[in-house]
Amino acid sequence: MDIMDIVMYAVYILIFPGALFTCLFGLWLAGIDRKVVARMQKRKGPPLSQPAWDFLKLCGKECIVPAGAARGVYLAAPYVGLASLIVTVLFIPLGGFRAFGGVADTVVILYLLTIPTLAMIFGGSASGSPFAGVGASRTMVSIMSYELPLILVILAVGKGATPEGYYFTFSFDQITLIQQVFGPNLFDWRLIPAAVAMLLVIPCEVGQHPFDVGEAETEICEGPLVEYSGKPLAVFKLSHAIKMFVMTALFCALFLGGITTGMLWLDVVLTLVFCSVVTLVCMSLLHAISARLRVEQLFKFFWTVVSGLALASLLLVWFC
Amino acid sequence: MMLANYIGAIALVVIGFYAMIAKHDIIKIVIGMGLTDYGLNLMIVSIGFNFGGTAPIYTFGELTSGMYFVDPVPQALTLTSIVIGACVTAMALALCVRIYNEYGTLDSREIRRLHG
Amino acid sequence: MTYDVYMHFPVIAIMTLFVGAFLVTLVGKKETARNIIAGAAVLISLTLLALLVKPVFVDGQIIAYWMGNWEPVEGYAIGIAIEIDALSLFFGLLVAIAVALSCFYSFRYIKQDDARGSFFTLYLMLGGGVMGIVLSGDLFNIYVMLEVMTFAAVGLTAFRTWNPNAREAAFKYLVVGSIGSTSALLGTALVYAQCHTLNLAQISAILPGNMNPTMVLAFALLFAGFGCKSFMFPFHPIAADAHGAAPSSVSVLISGVFTKTGVYGIIRVSYFLFRTMGLTSMQTMLVFIGCVSMFVCVTMALNQHDFKRLLAFHSISQIGYILTSLGLCTALGIAGGLYHAINHTLFKGLLFLTAGSVLYATGTTYLEKLGGLARKMPKTTILFLVGAFSISGIPPFNGFYSKWMIYQASFEKAAETGSIGYGLVTVICVVTSVLTLASFVKVGHSVFFGQLRPELENAKDPPLGMRIPMWIMAALCLLTGLFPNIMLDYAIYPATNAVYDTVPYIDAAMGSGYAAEHLLSTTPFVAQLRTFIGAWNPISWLLLFIIVLAAIFFVSVSGKGGRGRALEPDAKHAVFFGGEEAEYSHISGGDLFWGFKHTMRHYLGFMSRVHTGVTNDYVLWGVTALAAIIAYCFAFML
Repeated sequence: MDIMDIVMYAVYILIFPGALFTCLFGLWLAGIDRKVVARMQKRKGPPLSQPAWDFLKLCGKECIVPAGAARGVYLAAPYVGLASLIVTVLFIPLGGFRAFGGVADTVVILYLLTIPTLAMIFGGSASGSPFAGVGASRTMVSIMSYELPLILVILAVGKGATPEGYYFTFSFDQITLIQQVFGPNLFDWRLIPAAVAMLLVIPCEVGQHPFDVGEAETEICEGPLVEYSGKPLAVFKLSHAIKMFVMTALFCALFLGGITTGMLWLDVVLTLVFCSVVTLVCMSLLHAISARLRVEQLFKFFWTVVSGLALASLLLVWFC
Repeated sequence: MMLANYIGAIALVVIGFYAMIAKHDIIKIVIGMGLTDYGLNLMIVSIGFNFGGTAPIYTFGELTSGMYFVDPVPQALTLTSIVIGACVTAMALALCVRIYNEYGTLDSREIRRLHG
Repeated sequence: MTYDVYMHFPVIAIMTLFVGAFLVTLVGKKETARNIIAGAAVLISLTLLALLVKPVFVDGQIIAYWMGNWEPVEGYAIGIAIEIDALSLFFGLLVAIAVALSCFYSFRYIKQDDARGSFFTLYLMLGGGVMGIVLSGDLFNIYVMLEVMTFAAVGLTAFRTWNPNAREAAFKYLVVGSIGSTSALLGTALVYAQCHTLNLAQISAILPGNMNPTMVLAFALLFAGFGCKSFMFPFHPIAADAHGAAPSSVSVLISGVFTKTGVYGIIRVSYFLFRTMGLTSMQTMLVFIGCVSMFVCVTMALNQHDFKRLLAFHSISQIGYILTSLGLCTALGIAGGLYHAINHTLFKGLLFLTAGSVLYATGTTYLEKLGGLARKMPKTTILFLVGAFSISGIPPFNGFYSKWMIYQASFEKAAETGSIGYGLVTVICVVTSVLTLASFVKVGHSVFFGQLRPELENAKDPPLGMRIPMWIMAALCLLTGLFPNIMLDYAIYPATNAVYDTVPYIDAAMGSGYAAEHLLSTTPFVAQLRTFIGAWNPISWLLLFIIVLAAIFFVSVSGKGGRGRALEPDAKHAVFFGGEEAEYSHISGGDLFWGFKHTMRHYLGFMSRVHTGVTNDYVLWGVTALAAIIAYCFAFML
């Protein structure tokens, strides 16, 4: 490894698609989400840069550690969650571009995605507040809810057919390759139920309305985040924004991976545009038109309807 | 002749399991465990038995191809198994005594602090 | 070292433990002497097995040792053999590590107990029994060791005189366990009736291919017997009782080691002796049992209110993973199962030891009576988190790697057979994994986080003597997760090869050429694909994670803002209560996951009601399972 490689990896990790770009793009997605929701509710809405300003402002506020909190875990949780999210981005292909290939596959991503949520659960739990306790419990229920459909989606995408025969894979490289040859998975009718299921999984994993049972502001005062303030809170908000990016990028990788124009940078830009569109479809739209589900409704919905869709796709892929 | 042994052995095992399943007195459960053991021992000894065979005590010089004798290995196994069975029974009875002291009953339906 | 020297190591490794047990009794009440003898015994045993790593794992030798030098005569094994191949050594090492670490933990831990004299006697007997099973090359010896082990384990379960549940748990354990012993013995006797030998190598040369009804019955009995010892479904309730009631350091052995002997027995019986694993019906049965154990026990664990009882149900759930993986009968599946076996020993051992530390510090493991211990026991909390992350499969800890292997193995199996059933096995595994995570969030929240209970004000971290074994286990959890390739190359793959390649094992014991002469087919029946269909590189992930974390930390520190350390706590540092004055209010374990529990209430309530705690019911389950396995084998294996 010579100096150029090191510089290149440093750029990958810290600038694109790593830390800096991920944060900015995540905040931008959060911005358009807020804007669109506002427009749909006939409000003018904040400027697109509002989440970024919120973040910067929170960073300047005093950080209060509650007297009853387990200090170490309370303060470490947000940073660990953010770091693991940013690392996750590095493994998801963006229109054929992938910073670090061969490190993690789809199943690993499924597990890596639980780390930020888990950080939030343990961070909230460590604050000692009963609101946070309830929030942690609800967040965990939402993890349980989306994990079943998500693995079904991953298996449905991982099992497919080519004219030469079947393939079974968890690897992103191969999923991208197959889509480049046979067209994006989204245009395969057998995988459409899975794509719908995935679109429903995204807001639940991100913790977006109407599936934000864990952070329900009106009921349990933002649940795990109730005691957080200052920089740790800012980091949690940033993680929330980045999750939007990670999940939509994952959707694009699984279902819209094969669109190639021949120019890598254009592919990447195209994928980012897709990410924004997916955000609008599955998060802003749902957010604007629906009310929050109750915890048991959420669980039931995901284990019956959403899992049913994903399972249908798996069966179709298997037998058709 | 041997058939009777096998039937007896299986009957003992079945009765033992029946006692362990249906009897709520824990002493009877222990008796059931014992019965199962005896059934097994009978079974193993029967496996090694050759009708009309002699005791397997020979030196190499005396062995001829036409000789036939009772297989000694199952008997050795049975001895071990009897010893183990006796220990298990002793242990179980000791536990029964302690349970009776602590719970004041020998009814297995009432000895269920650990459940669910 | 030459072959002549190290061929004596296995028998000495077993004997030191038993001799240690008697010596411990001899020194009577002298505590230090007792500890020294016990520590020396477990260390010698561990060292001897560790010295075998090079010849067995790396050079691929198989050590056949005949007790009293009674070697086979004219192709008949008449003596008692101790035979070590990579599989035996793998399990032997796992046993030795767990026994040694748990023993050092016990020195301090059992100071609270009254009958300390007999503890190490039973403890070393248990260790010796387990070691005897995995190293023995003789079927009847395995049975005897099984009984020694069960006996010592029952004694240790009933050991805590001040635990009101201990005798009950021990009694149930003894009674239900006797079903397993009975069927194992009967199976052994039937095998002897057919083969006229008890030597594993010779049986595995003669038996496969000669399946008559007696042999099918023998197989079913042996399978059920070892299954009972691994506490697979439906033998699981006794495991929960026994793990919960035994002292924590013993639970480590019962959960981490004792159950593994059952797994080892199942491997030996179905892959080795009878070679039935090649049958689709057998694979289906094992995978089915594994999946049911996995799912039922994890949901039972969510119902629990006692830390150790919860852990106990999880160990059966993890055994379910191992059985499922072994049932796939592919090289990757076996490797995943064995990897999960060692990982389970490490993280479950760690978790039981942290549970023991909580018990040591607070006197209870009841979840509703604990809370907020992270502030008083920070070191234990970190250790607990390592264990919890490992068991719930959070990368980069070890549990994840083996689970990931199992997912791939089952999905590849689905590819190979074209059956969607194996795809659903992958789904069940993932769901079980997330439910595992949920129940450890529950433990974490209700024991270590949340508000500190006022009566736990004096709790503190356990002494160093107890912490060191825990740190070692935690380090091993991380290392086996970070360096999977080393583990695979030097331990798992040799053991995997040993599982399906019986020829060297037979030839080592009976003389070369014996296998070729007797075995119908010497080709392995396992699908030998070992390709990964995904990618996971823990070291790269960890490096990236550290770099990013450092970057974030750098940015965070370079900005302004206080560190949040209050000079004088005032009202703003109190917990938020919606404007009211803060009061003690802790969300306890039983209240968590309401949405999930509500939706699943019929199932969870049913499961809770069915586990009645009545000995007769559990015996009924056991006997039914035995009958079902026999019936299944007769229906599909003849």
